[in-house]
Amino acid sequence: MDNDNQYLQMFFDESAEYLQQLNENVLLLEENPDDEEIINAVFRAAHSVKGMSATMGFELLTDLTHKIENILAKVRNKELDINEKIVDVLFAGLDEIKKLVDDIRENGQETTDISEYLAELDSLLTMEKDFESIKNEDDLDLKVSLTDDEFYQKLSLSDEEEEEILKRLKGNESFYNIKVNLKEDCLLKNVRGYMILKKAQELGFLAKSKPTQKEIEDEDFDLVIYIILISTLDKETIVNEIMDIVDVKDVTINQLDLKKSRTEVAASEEVKKQVKNDKSNEKDENMKTQDKNSKKLTNIQVSPTVRVDINKLDNLMNMVGELLINKTRLAGLNIDSEIYNDIIQQLDRVTTELHHNVMQIRMVPIGGIFNRFPRMVRDLSKELDKEINLVIEGAETELDRSIIDELADPLMHIIRNAIDHGIERPEKRKEMGKDPAGTILLQAYQKGSEIIIEAEDDGAGLDVEKITTKAIEKGIISEEEAEEMDKKDRLNLIFNPGFSTSNQVTDVSGRGVGMDVVKRVVESLDGQVFIESEKGVGTRFTISLPLTLAITQALMVKINQEIYAIPLGTISETLMITPEEILQVRGQDVIILRDKTIPLVEGAQKLNLNIEYGRFHKQEEIPVVIINSGEREIGLIVDDLLNQQEIVIKSLGNYLVNIKNISGATIVGDGDVALILDVRNIA
Amino acid sequence: MAKTVLVVDDAAFMRMMIKNILVDGGFEIVAEAENGKQAIDLYREHKPDLVTMDITMPGMDGLEAVKKIVEEDEEAKIIMCSAMGQQAMVIDAIQAGARDFVVKPFKPDRVLAAINKMFND
Repeated sequence: MDNDNQYLQMFFDESAEYLQQLNENVLLLEENPDDEEIINAVFRAAHSVKGMSATMGFELLTDLTHKIENILAKVRNKELDINEKIVDVLFAGLDEIKKLVDDIRENGQETTDISEYLAELDSLLTMEKDFESIKNEDDLDLKVSLTDDEFYQKLSLSDEEEEEILKRLKGNESFYNIKVNLKEDCLLKNVRGYMILKKAQELGFLAKSKPTQKEIEDEDFDLVIYIILISTLDKETIVNEIMDIVDVKDVTINQLDLKKSRTEVAASEEVKKQVKNDKSNEKDENMKTQDKNSKKLTNIQVSPTVRVDINKLDNLMNMVGELLINKTRLAGLNIDSEIYNDIIQQLDRVTTELHHNVMQIRMVPIGGIFNRFPRMVRDLSKELDKEINLVIEGAETELDRSIIDELADPLMHIIRNAIDHGIERPEKRKEMGKDPAGTILLQAYQKGSEIIIEAEDDGAGLDVEKITTKAIEKGIISEEEAEEMDKKDRLNLIFNPGFSTSNQVTDVSGRGVGMDVVKRVVESLDGQVFIESEKGVGTRFTISLPLTLAITQALMVKINQEIYAIPLGTISETLMITPEEILQVRGQDVIILRDKTIPLVEGAQKLNLNIEYGRFHKQEEIPVVIINSGEREIGLIVDDLLNQQEIVIKSLGNYLVNIKNISGATIVGDGDVALILDVRNIA
Repeated sequence: MAKTVLVVDDAAFMRMMIKNILVDGGFEIVAEAENGKQAIDLYREHKPDLVTMDITMPGMDGLEAVKKIVEEDEEAKIIMCSAMGQQAMVIDAIQAGARDFVVKPFKPDRVLAAINKMFND
């Protein structure tokens, strides 16, 4: 059972990895349809999934991946051209694979019905073949022909042989040069070679081969076999038949016209080559332009990984937390001894290093979620008939793993919105004098102890008036309140639960996940989200997040004999004020700090403590912590400012998760529990 | 309907190996034989869609068995299970009518690829 689980886990992890690879590579393939390396990469990944599924005994998956592989094989053998339809089918296939894997994860069985998709694949496999064979021969010819020079060097017929063969021709046969490449890892290649010759003999008259049958049986050859074959069958059939032999890597075939004189043949080949060269030049140019495009996709790199259960890392982080707590306690003993001080210093250094390292281990590049988006952008822009370039920057920026996982959905929602509501249709963009193709810039970078993620589009921008009207209509704000609001506040209205500006619910963004969810998730990660938007110019969402959640620096304060922790990142400064400095604005206590009016709130009141409020008015000195949440700043009145220390953030557990203004708890030096203030809510 | 297979190999372990691979690949094992003679009898009895045939076996070897089976049933689909170094024997077997071969140690995907290719024909 344990073994089974282990295999299964590996299967899930690896198939997810392969799926990601497949998604990326199929996308690349669409842009670089002739890049064999990409085709091979796609093929290998599909093949690996198939192998794993087969080993695990998942029949549907095996069947599915097998058929997808068949399609890919055809692409690889140039029997199928990569076009939008094929790419769509491949993507659909990847989705089916994902569904099946999810099924297995959830209930151990492949429950999704993929028969419809399989039928589609089957029809594609057979239909495209017919289609391709009818499709202009010339084109095909260019693609499959090998340079005849190469062939003649390796294998050509003597005049006598040629005459002999010509005598045998009845008129309806064709004359073929065939080059068969075997795979590098081909086992018992002499047997394979033998099978190929045997197959050739079945297909027609094997005029000559290099290596000869004897050489093949003696294994006196490399991985290439040249054959001159006379057959009544068409190229397609011959190639397919030979490709059906295991370990055949590829087959190139060229039809010869023996009746023409040699010189004529040579001349026509010359022309052909010319055309080919022209074509390849063109291709080169294409490649160059495509390179630029593909660069922005390929620079999303996911580093090779050691797979560790995230729970183990959480445990490790917890242990480091415990260690930190005890170190703090130990340091608090204040023993007057040189050795003691020495040890404490060492301990401090080691624990800090350890903490830093564990944090590093938990960090993963944000590319892990960024690279899901190119596929999504492609699908959506197609669906909505828009042209969109997605530019990704800073995919290598690292974030705590637990944050990354949570972030995928909000980001996806923002980008969906940008595609659906933001970027206009090409015609409209042209009218407005914009580039018909919209751009979405997704970037991540580190700024101090925060990670900033920006999603920016050059679309229509948010309509502030419309948002305000809607918010009033929905009763989220009153008209009077609206009057008082500045642009920023009005934009922020879209974060209200149940708010949606689009009148049409589309398949894309009308899925019930609103911007409020985005805000909630980001805030639950101790982050913030801002919007900037200019009508007709575009919209930018900025998400700022802490580097890591588990351990942070905090200011310890005392409110009514209890110790509370305020995360340092949210504090802009601490002050000592006198009651005289407190002013009243519309019944609200405020102070003026460097020409800025900052509202004051009493900590005890915010925490709903059962004491008399407003006592601070009688104090000579009042400690105030200026905390900020986004653009808002408030002064939090506390009883005492204690010290700054590292705290290990612990959740309050499921039952207490909704306690207002408290975001968690930590253990302080003397072993007591201190609650952590939820500054976001208080401010 | 799963394709039926007759597995022929004198070593129980190898039979087990190939059985597991094939079952995982969606095949049904209808019989197992330890030598060529048994293989022929069981082939007659079960008419399997596929035979995996070891080459070296005590009594009647795989090559002989292939010849006999193909003689009786031209359509028989036989895959030879060969070790490295048995090239000549494999060529003989293919000449005798075996459709393909796999090489020990078996790699599941290679085995299945060979078999699936054969059924695709």
